[in-house]
Amino acid sequence: MTTPPSELLMFQVGARLFASAVGDVIRIGNVRDVPAEELVEGTTLGQTFARERGIVVSDQRDGSEATLVVDQVLGIRQVTEGEIRPLPSFAAAVLQTGAVAGLVLLDEVPTLIVDLPTLIRERRAAAPTLQPS
Amino acid sequence: MFEARGDQGSAGGAKGMQEAWYFCLRLLGGRYAFEAALVTEVVRLGPLTRLPAAPSFLPGVFTQRGEVLPVLDIGQLVGQGAIPIRPSTRVAIVHCGPWKVAVISDGVEGLVSLPRRSIEPPPAESTGMAEFLSGVGRDRHGTVAILDLPRLVETARARAVPAGSQGA
Repeated sequence: MTTPPSELLMFQVGARLFASAVGDVIRIGNVRDVPAEELVEGTTLGQTFARERGIVVSDQRDGSEATLVVDQVLGIRQVTEGEIRPLPSFAAAVLQTGAVAGLVLLDEVPTLIVDLPTLIRERRAAAPTLQPS
Repeated sequence: MFEARGDQGSAGGAKGMQEAWYFCLRLLGGRYAFEAALVTEVVRLGPLTRLPAAPSFLPGVFTQRGEVLPVLDIGQLVGQGAIPIRPSTRVAIVHCGPWKVAVISDGVEGLVSLPRRSIEPPPAESTGMAEFLSGVGRDRHGTVAILDLPRLVETARARAVPAGSQGA
């Protein structure tokens, strides 16, 4: 039996490529259309260059929405379960973020799967005055 | 690839008892060795994926035959700067208790045999690399510092702040 593929949203922050579960994303928008207080940037993913796009994410805990500022949204990619890898246990034990959900192998190169709600919660917790909920 | 022979070696007899086998890397301008049985293989370091909010001693992860492995930079851990990554860089994949990591180095010497009588206690210093030495030996190529690699890896883990324990 073939494992059903998962869908990942591929996006770029700075020069680096990331993936996230499509289910975490409400919509993709233009950052210019979003009130400044709803924008989230300066996360542990790195600094944006162009600030072109916003990924609107819902926090299941409180129902709030936030827009993660990224440089590019590259589209949706279907991957099989066989291409997904967990974060190695040593890395999981020392990383200072819980926002890495795992990795997907794209052409044998590991690409981070980001837990977007956790990323945004951590960013807001780190700078509550800059990122009000 | 190489065959790890462990501390007892395979020579047997009196000669085997007089020698200990270690795996030797060149790091930070010196020769550092650790228990040979910890090493499973030596491979070329593939494209590195950096991780967010990672401590400096974890420069990233790479894949080896479909397995994602974390890379450990001992130079960063002991505060002596990053070990340069080049296309020719090789890593030693080691098992230390529950952890499997790829130790980055300036060069790989491979297995070395040290006469047990040549192994002396480490210097009394407790900073930098000296903190993780279990002894110092000599072979015909010179001095070899013997690392307590499991203690080093466990110290790295303990020094990092895991995500779940952050205030917030």
